[in-house]
Order: sequence, then structure tokens, then C-alpha cells
Amino acid sequence: MITSPSIDDMLEGLILALDADIMPHLEQPKAQASAQMMQSLLQGIRQLLPVYDASLIEEHNEMNKGIREAAALVEGVSGPEADRMRARAETIAAVADLPAPLDMVEVKAAHRVRTEAVRDSLIDLDELQRAGVDAADDSLNALRAMLTPHYLRYMGTFPMQGGMLGRG
Amino acid sequence: MHAQLAAALSAVFDDGLPIEVSGLDALPGGFSRETFMFDATTIDGDTSKTRPMILRKDPPPSVAILETSRLVEHNLLEGLRAHTNLPVSRSYCVEMDPAVFGEQAMIIERMPGSGQTSDLFNGGPDADQVDDVMRSLCEILVELHETSIDTIDPDGALNDPRQVGIDPTSWDAYMDSTFQYYIDAYPDIEYDPLLLVILDAFLWLRRNKPRPMPLAIVHGDFNPANFLYADGRVTALIDWENTRVGDPREDLGWMVLMDVLSNTQVMAHPADEGGFLAYYNKLRGLDITPEELGYFTLFGTANIAVPVNRALARRTRKEQTEFLHLYMLQSSAPALMSFLSLLGYPGVPA
Repeated sequence: MITSPSIDDMLEGLILALDADIMPHLEQPKAQASAQMMQSLLQGIRQLLPVYDASLIEEHNEMNKGIREAAALVEGVSGPEADRMRARAETIAAVADLPAPLDMVEVKAAHRVRTEAVRDSLIDLDELQRAGVDAADDSLNALRAMLTPHYLRYMGTFPMQGGMLGRG
Repeated sequence: MHAQLAAALSAVFDDGLPIEVSGLDALPGGFSRETFMFDATTIDGDTSKTRPMILRKDPPPSVAILETSRLVEHNLLEGLRAHTNLPVSRSYCVEMDPAVFGEQAMIIERMPGSGQTSDLFNGGPDADQVDDVMRSLCEILVELHETSIDTIDPDGALNDPRQVGIDPTSWDAYMDSTFQYYIDAYPDIEYDPLLLVILDAFLWLRRNKPRPMPLAIVHGDFNPANFLYADGRVTALIDWENTRVGDPREDLGWMVLMDVLSNTQVMAHPADEGGFLAYYNKLRGLDITPEELGYFTLFGTANIAVPVNRALARRTRKEQTEFLHLYMLQSSAPALMSFLSLLGYPGVPA
């Protein structure tokens, strides 16, 4: 999966391109306003993305806790409403908290270290193959088999649309 | 810009007549040069003559994809016009002083014909012309590849135009020095783990050198967007900035890859000749195999991949903010799949 540029880098690039390549050529005020709205929305997405997963999980866990606390505060109350609150605390809110997501900066750094190890292995295998070591063929094939799904996943999630645009 | 264009052309025409520049407009298309169309009209009393023109201008160095010389391109075009029947633009003048147009620039003839080459494919409005146009394109490529290198390039400007140590004194020397150029360039272009397959390809190319073939002048960016056509024939082969001495199979291989990226089917035509490769082989009396074509798809692609990915690496490091380079990250991704396929990665269709 692509790591550089990051998703944030690409969104920033769109905002800059709207500024540099599109807005100077828009003559209609409505179109200019739409472009500014796009920039605003893109900037919002840039800020939303890095905290989105962590916020969902945090809010999930806080709701668990809140439902339990709310039910505890009506412990002495009778009636179907209070019963339903206690039931929610004992079922939905009784499940374990979700784990916090991994720090993506750490994940990317670890990914980078493995990438460099694969790169260095490709170079070593090339030396072995040029020296006539047959086992290097199978070893290279194993690395390629490992890499194939990485590329297929990337192509499947970030596909090009309609050929190279703007080239005739 | 109008005054600078008129002044530059006045020096070329040298007839003292006033020149009026009109219709100046930026063109989409080329990813590496800034291209503008305009008309230059000379007025002599009651008569006037209008010439269609193109201004090809370098982008700022920080966003350049291919660092090539307009002077070399100018001399090449004029050499091709003088010594071949190839349909190429006249190059009126080259301006190497960036003070005039902002960067190095050249003014060339705007050739007739449609550049909307996608109309030839996928049921487009000119699909009925595709076999004839591809036949014409193939014949033009053959003429280029059979043109004497010494005649077109007596000073050797096309031997190593990027000045990266390419040695064209023999086919073996050319290939070996090019492998080294690719491999040495890798650390500079490695902006993401996705580039690993490119390193794998560079190393594989060196381990699997095919049979030799006489070197030739190669177009260097022979792709489905770099020709114009009309009435069933090619009216111009354009964009000669990456032309150099090389293996002629590179042009064929690069077209294979660009066919995939452009969603076109150049290599499948002319159908009545069995496709582009078969017709090329027939015209030249060669037997270039599909395996060799695959090899040179990688080799020819690598030649472009080095400068393109170097530019993308600069973009990812935010040394510049060119949007096109971000788009190329996405639009060039199918090339990676072609690399996987040609290298025989397990689980990837051949």
C-alpha cells in the first residue's frame, strides 16, 4: 500500500491545485464559491482522517461507560424505563472496551524498515543469481509471491479512471 | 508573450514584414513541456500569410520531469526534415536564453491532423481509420529506425543526451551502461515501497540481456498520444524531446506499456497484418519475438521511469507542489502491474 505521499499529502495537493490551477481561471462567482467550498471540505477531511478511527473507538468506550453509570444512578428506581436502562448496561454496555488503534506513525516506520529489508534482499539475491546459485531463484520467487497481493490491493483500492487523462 | 514571439519569428523570416501573433492558448497534452498554440501572420500590403505555430517551453527546473535540451530537439527536427521523409514539424527557432520566454523554448510548426488519438479506439468516431493509421505509424517508425545515426546526429548529441554515462559505442556497451544508470538511480527514486518492483525489474534486465540488435535513433516517447492523423494516415510524429541512440525495440516496448496506460490498442493494428509488431517485423525483415518485446517493455519503461519517478520523489518530499505529479502517482500505477506480469510474479496474469 502506498505510504508516500500519504493520504493527507494527496488531499493537501488537491487544495493547492484548486488554488493554483483552477481558481485563477474561474470567471463565475458561483464557480469560485464552489471551488472554495471544495477546499474547505478537503481541509476538513484532512483534519478528520487522522483522528477518525481513534475517536470512534474512544466514543464507543465512553458510551459503554456512560450507559453503565447512568443505569447505576437509577439503581433504586422501579418501572419499565429504569429496567430497560439496567438491561442496556448489562448487555450492550457490558462488552469489553475496544483497543485503541495503533499509532500510524509507528506503523509506517515499522513498514519502512521491512521495505528496506526486502529491497536489500532483492539486491543480495541478484548477486547470488548472477553467481549461479540456483536456490536464489526460489528465494526470489518467494519474495515476489509475498509482494503480489500488496500491488493487487493497491490497484484494487486506488484505481486509475479512464486512461491517462489530458493526453489526447 | 506576444511581442517576444513576434520578435523571435521576425529574426527567422528576415523579410522585414510585421508579424501579428494571435490565438495564443495553452494546450493540454504533453506532461513534460509547456505547450502553447498560436498563429503568426505576416502582413505585406493587402496580402497576409498565416502560419500555425507551437511554442514548446521548458517548465521550471523544479517541476521538470525530463531534463532535455531544446537546442538538441531543434537540431534533431531540422536534421530529420533535411534527410528523411518523416512527418515532423519544422523548428523555426530555439531560444536558450530563459529571460525571453521564462525558460528555454522553441517555436515549431503546428502540424495538421487530429491529436485526439483516443478517437481511433474503443468504438470512437475514427475507429474505421485505425488500421490505416497504424499502418502509417508503423511505416514511419521503421523509417526512423532505419535512418543513419551519423546523418541525423553527426555531433553525437543523441548518444547520451541526459549525460548519465550511456556508452553507445556498441550494443553491449549501450545496454551495460544503461543497466548501471538504472540501478544507480534507484536510491534517488525510491519514494515508496511500491517502487520495489522497479528495482526488481532493473536487476532482472541486467541478468537477462537478450540478443543484440543494431542501435538506431529511437523516438524515446513513442506512445499513443504522440502522433497526429487525418484521412487514414499519420500527419505528424511529435514530441521528440527524449530521442536518442538506443535499441529500436525500446520504442515498441514503450508503446506496449503506454497502450495499457492510455486504454488504446495500437499494438493490435494493423489487424490485417497481424498487429503492429508483425507488420514492423515484415517491413524490416526482422523476427522480434513477443519475449523480446516484453523485455523491451521493461527496458523502455525503465528509461522513462527513472526521470519520472525522480520527479515524483521530489513531489513526495514536497520540494515542489505540482499537481500533475500527484496525478501521475495514480495514473502510472497500471505500469507497476505490467512490471509484475512481465517479471512473472506469482498470481499475476501473464
